[in-house]
Amino acid sequence: MTTQQLRPIVSVFPIKGKVKTIKQVPLPSVFSAPIRPDVVRFVHTNMAKNNRQAHAVSTTAGEQTSATSWGTGRAVARIPRVKGSGTGRSGQAAFGNMCRGGRMYAPKKVWRKWHRKINTNQKRYAVCSAIAATAVTPLVMSRGHRVNKLPELPLVVSDQLQSLTKTRQAVKFLKFIGAYRDVEKVIRTKKTRVGQGKYRNRRHVLRKGPMVVYARNLGIKKAFRNIPGVETASVYTLNLLKLAPGSQMGRFIIWTESAFKLLEDIYGSWEKPSKFKSGFYLPRPVMVNTDVERIIKSDQVQTVLRNRRPRSRKYGKKIQRADPYEDMSVMVKLNPYYKTKLQNQKELEEKNKKERKEIVDKSRKEYEDWLYFSEEEEEEEVEGSDEDREIEVLSDEN
Amino acid sequence: MSKQVPETIKKQVKRSFNSKEVKKEKNEKRMKLLKEIQTKAFKRAEKYEKEYLEQEQKLVELKQQALKEGSFYREPEPKLAFIIRIRGIVGVPPKPRKILQLLRLRRIYSGVFIRLNKSSLRMLHFIDPYVTWGYPDVETVRALIYKRGHARVNHQRKIIDSNEMIYDKLQKFDIVCMEDLVHEIYTVGKNFKHANSFLWAFKLKPPVGGFSTVKKSFVNKGEHGNREQYINTLVKKMI
Repeated sequence: MTTQQLRPIVSVFPIKGKVKTIKQVPLPSVFSAPIRPDVVRFVHTNMAKNNRQAHAVSTTAGEQTSATSWGTGRAVARIPRVKGSGTGRSGQAAFGNMCRGGRMYAPKKVWRKWHRKINTNQKRYAVCSAIAATAVTPLVMSRGHRVNKLPELPLVVSDQLQSLTKTRQAVKFLKFIGAYRDVEKVIRTKKTRVGQGKYRNRRHVLRKGPMVVYARNLGIKKAFRNIPGVETASVYTLNLLKLAPGSQMGRFIIWTESAFKLLEDIYGSWEKPSKFKSGFYLPRPVMVNTDVERIIKSDQVQTVLRNRRPRSRKYGKKIQRADPYEDMSVMVKLNPYYKTKLQNQKELEEKNKKERKEIVDKSRKEYEDWLYFSEEEEEEEVEGSDEDREIEVLSDEN
Repeated sequence: MSKQVPETIKKQVKRSFNSKEVKKEKNEKRMKLLKEIQTKAFKRAEKYEKEYLEQEQKLVELKQQALKEGSFYREPEPKLAFIIRIRGIVGVPPKPRKILQLLRLRRIYSGVFIRLNKSSLRMLHFIDPYVTWGYPDVETVRALIYKRGHARVNHQRKIIDSNEMIYDKLQKFDIVCMEDLVHEIYTVGKNFKHANSFLWAFKLKPPVGGFSTVKKSFVNKGEHGNREQYINTLVKKMI
């Protein structure tokens, strides 16, 4: 939903003289109705089917033969063939949709459903939307109307307009108010219709110009009748097909003052029902405040939100930490005691080594001592043997 | 052009949970906490070293005493086992498959610690052909947790980076550092369950030097089933 240019007060302009405000009227509630292009499109597509005329193909078309199939065994297709002889037509295929001169596939019938029922409330919803859209300048401009030179949108004009009788007066008024540019556009772009409509009494195509809405026809209808592109309508019978031509919202409308004021009565508001449409209240929007960003940023919402979760870089993102048995810094981070433990182990090892060394030295010394004393014992043993001595004496004498 | 700051942004900054002061405060608190954790870790590690040493010495003492008296010292039955799944996923019957799932042994060479009691022993009986298990010693438990220990944090498997990680999850069970975790697992303390479930199942490498034959049990010169203390040498090859 676009931001509405809600003008609670709208100026009324005269139809000649100077373009200045002669009066101010409040904006009727219709112009704050929700603008629903989806509803308008739905209603428009169905409403547009309601002025169709039935057409169909003749019931006997293609059936006016007594053709019969020749059956099998004749080297021809089994399609029904025209009986008889003596003419080119005989033996030709008939009846089928594929045959020349045959009836079409599914011949069109008159009892096709041409019109569509639309729920009354939906129709009214669409009209309210379309009227609301006519006050939104961007929508009117995007529809293609030339509204740059207008003093205001919605354009409300004094009731004197309703008493105009001459086309010249009407044109003068349009030029005065700045609406003639839209009419010029229509005149400039009148073209021959593309397609076969051109020789079916629909030769020319015109754009849509301004629409003049009045409360009472005191000649206005005839005055604006011959101006290309301009349409008139009574405020009591606003047609969606005219308010949103081609289901495109934002027709350029010129309201007369009394017509404008009557809108409040015809369409009602959210508190007061319509006086003319029984039980009808203006449709309610789904969201009253559509500025979602503002709602989110408001104090009421922000104070109730939970804290934003901090980006947890605490545990490191995808860090594959090193192996603690290879990288001392990682080990110490995980186990601050590790270095001390290694030290203690080292000390213990050295202590043990030392002790062991002492024990080993001691035992080695003991062994060496034992060895020394045992050598002395060996010498005494040698002195004690006589046999060897005798042998030696004998050898000396010789 | 004067710099106009929109109202909403001003309010946002004021309300901000990431404002400079708040950040600074949070950081200070955190640094303080980290220091506390590390000092605790130091003290506890020291305590546990003594404890393990005492345990060893006590065991030796009791054995020697029994020898003197001419009787036998029956060691207490092991409380902790480390199980390694050594067979793959294909062709596992439903009961062993379910038990392996329950024990978090969902893939080959995954390992878990388990408390040994009658019920868990019965479970192991069913999955014997698919696993090998034994009684780890302190160094094995340590190596596993330090080198291959991953934590289950926020349904994610994250490597244990720091003691802060352990503190955050297990503080309420009085486990604040790696050594606490190792101690709780090794001695199967009161909060073994929580310590163990904090750890993701260990993903080990295939053993250096290979297996002989997984189809036979360890007792029959194969690999599966209970291998008591020889699990320690196997883990060294797989870690």
